[in-house]
Amino acid sequence: MTGRIITGDELTKDVTVECDVCVIGSGSGGAWTAHELVKQGKSVVMLEEGGYHTRREFDMNEPRAFQNLYQELGNRAADDLSITILQGRSVGGGTTVNWCSSFRTPERILKIWKERHGIETLSTAALTPHWEVIEQRLHIAQWPQEMMNANNKVLWEGLGALGYERGLIRRNVNNCLNLGYCGLGCPVDAKQSMSVTVLPDAVEKGLTLYANTSARVLDWDGRKVTAVRAEVLDGTTRKPTGVKVVVKPKVTVVSGGAINSPGLLMRSQLLSEGRVGEKTWFHPVLMMMAEFEHEVNAFHGAPQSVYSHHFIERGPGKMGYFLEVPPVQPMLASTVLTGAGAETIELMTKLKHLNVMLAIHVDGLLPEEEGATVRLREGAHSRYSIKYAFTPAHWESFRASCKEMAKLQFAAGAKQVRSLHVSPVTLNSVADLGKLDDAKWEAMQLRVATAHQMGGCRMGKDPSTSVVDPHLKYHSLDNLFVVDGSVLPTSLGVNPQETIFGIARWAATHIGQAV
Amino acid sequence: MKMYLPPPGSKPARRSVLKRGLIGGALLALGGGGFLFTRKSVEVDPPGDGLLSFTAREFAIVTALSYRVIPHREGFPTVDAVQVARGCDRILTLVDETALTETKQLLMLLENALPNFLFGRRARTFSTMSSDDQDAVLTEWQTSRITLRRTGYTALRGLVMAAYFSSPATWPAIGYPGPLPGIHDPNAPVWKGGGVERPIGNGTFREPAPAVDGGTP
Repeated sequence: MTGRIITGDELTKDVTVECDVCVIGSGSGGAWTAHELVKQGKSVVMLEEGGYHTRREFDMNEPRAFQNLYQELGNRAADDLSITILQGRSVGGGTTVNWCSSFRTPERILKIWKERHGIETLSTAALTPHWEVIEQRLHIAQWPQEMMNANNKVLWEGLGALGYERGLIRRNVNNCLNLGYCGLGCPVDAKQSMSVTVLPDAVEKGLTLYANTSARVLDWDGRKVTAVRAEVLDGTTRKPTGVKVVVKPKVTVVSGGAINSPGLLMRSQLLSEGRVGEKTWFHPVLMMMAEFEHEVNAFHGAPQSVYSHHFIERGPGKMGYFLEVPPVQPMLASTVLTGAGAETIELMTKLKHLNVMLAIHVDGLLPEEEGATVRLREGAHSRYSIKYAFTPAHWESFRASCKEMAKLQFAAGAKQVRSLHVSPVTLNSVADLGKLDDAKWEAMQLRVATAHQMGGCRMGKDPSTSVVDPHLKYHSLDNLFVVDGSVLPTSLGVNPQETIFGIARWAATHIGQAV
Repeated sequence: MKMYLPPPGSKPARRSVLKRGLIGGALLALGGGGFLFTRKSVEVDPPGDGLLSFTAREFAIVTALSYRVIPHREGFPTVDAVQVARGCDRILTLVDETALTETKQLLMLLENALPNFLFGRRARTFSTMSSDDQDAVLTEWQTSRITLRRTGYTALRGLVMAAYFSSPATWPAIGYPGPLPGIHDPNAPVWKGGGVERPIGNGTFREPAPAVDGGTP
């Protein structure tokens, strides 16, 4: 039996289809779930609102990539723009545009889930067999140190100079050419994204994948989802074409990610007394930019190959963070840099000499945190109202991490370091670190971003405090599962894709049993 | 076309964030009205192939804004050469209707002479001000205590910056060599299943042969 990928341009009249399982979303959660279910012999239909974009289009051109591969063209953000949200939107979801960093779920986090949320199903022992298969299939391996680009070398050398813990990142790549354009779609299919690996594997085994098809509402009656109603979107304009797709499955799996999955449930009146869309975790990212005498060329080379978890646990009441670096390509860099017009243009002339460092904050672990709340936005088709609640612990950690990043950059030889405040703080040596204390540490006074969205449909044993149970089944419906980053009850402290891969492959067993 | 609206009983954002809050609401009201709003904007020729998102007035405001967000510098292409305002117009054809509406509201708020008079004693529209006054207005927005203005500055600045630096014409000035040539294959096969054999590539996988007698494959 062979399946097919059907794109929006092929869908000219309404379609109704029956199947065992409908999977909504084709990213890290949906792809592995669908793959395992077709292997079990189930008939599976997948709906993906983004387009089917392949290396034929991946020309390493920023505007084209952001237009085709990111939610809201890369402009998704909190309502007040206090956090920029980078999130994938195409066949393969975030795996098409992420930077390949692959970590298993930390033991510490699984322990917290067990102790605080009653999740006894997910343990290192339960997930390890799945991770082993996944790592083999996706060629997940440590990136060789000799292939490290100069941008990562800044972090590596800074960590070494200060005696901080450091490590080399494992990446899901095969025959990687070390180009540096992972975030724009890999032009040689070296990145083992879902769209070139697990999804085509599943199509070979019978998966039918509708691209450009946005699930809008779940019909449900009593304790059963009876249908998924979707609309076909124009591949270019993203506007509905008027063609509808209705899927009538025995079981439905929502895998749209930590913002769109809650959105679909809310449109379907599945609110869990308001918990759907609450406690969404962003791994808020702070950045510091450094100028070096030598060329860094942070636009080329594997984007992320070094990490440090030196500050992942900072003591009671404090938020931890981990350190990595991003690629620095011109369009994205110009929108992230702060300062007046002429100042930004001047900085852009130094692009080849710039290093940017990331401190990724582990939110969702402190009792006072609410994280982000996602709600429907009146009149909007693909936008949501998103509010993130910063706490004093965030600002303390943000300030501390910016100081540490500056120290690392100077230790690696930076001439000058600059914060990304609205009114940037410029440091000429470590003696200037105190200047950061005088900066404004509040929302909309400095750049904060997220590339890891988690929570919003959190799992837990207690139906009064969670959305799905420890087997990822929606508490009050018998044939609805959520399998993506939205089920994570906290953030992770590592890049999330491998956690979601593992959970999805694990979950497919009991989802299959529910058919 | 909207096929599905939020169901009754759901909790949508009650109003656009730009309209939320007393000061924000009052400011946006100023964006569309007031005596001083009747003052004219500068006139700018629209692009030869027309406008898809902006009105002629909005296009003129974005053009004026782009001159200040990206002041001309030796060695860089001008914003006119890159057609920044046209680029913004085209980008906005792809965004959610609510985002387009909010962008238009922000542009009119930036342009309106009344808030510019109230906040800075400048009784002219943004697009007709001197460059120094325009810079002063943008700085006021950037550093304002009113969230709406800071948010608006970030949104409009980002739009203009993205439209400018997305152009390869800017790359020589910033020393960006662009992607390595000869890598992208515009004729690469696109496989969609349906019984067609899948081409062998980096994404295909053959499971290793099982080990025999606990050792040799």
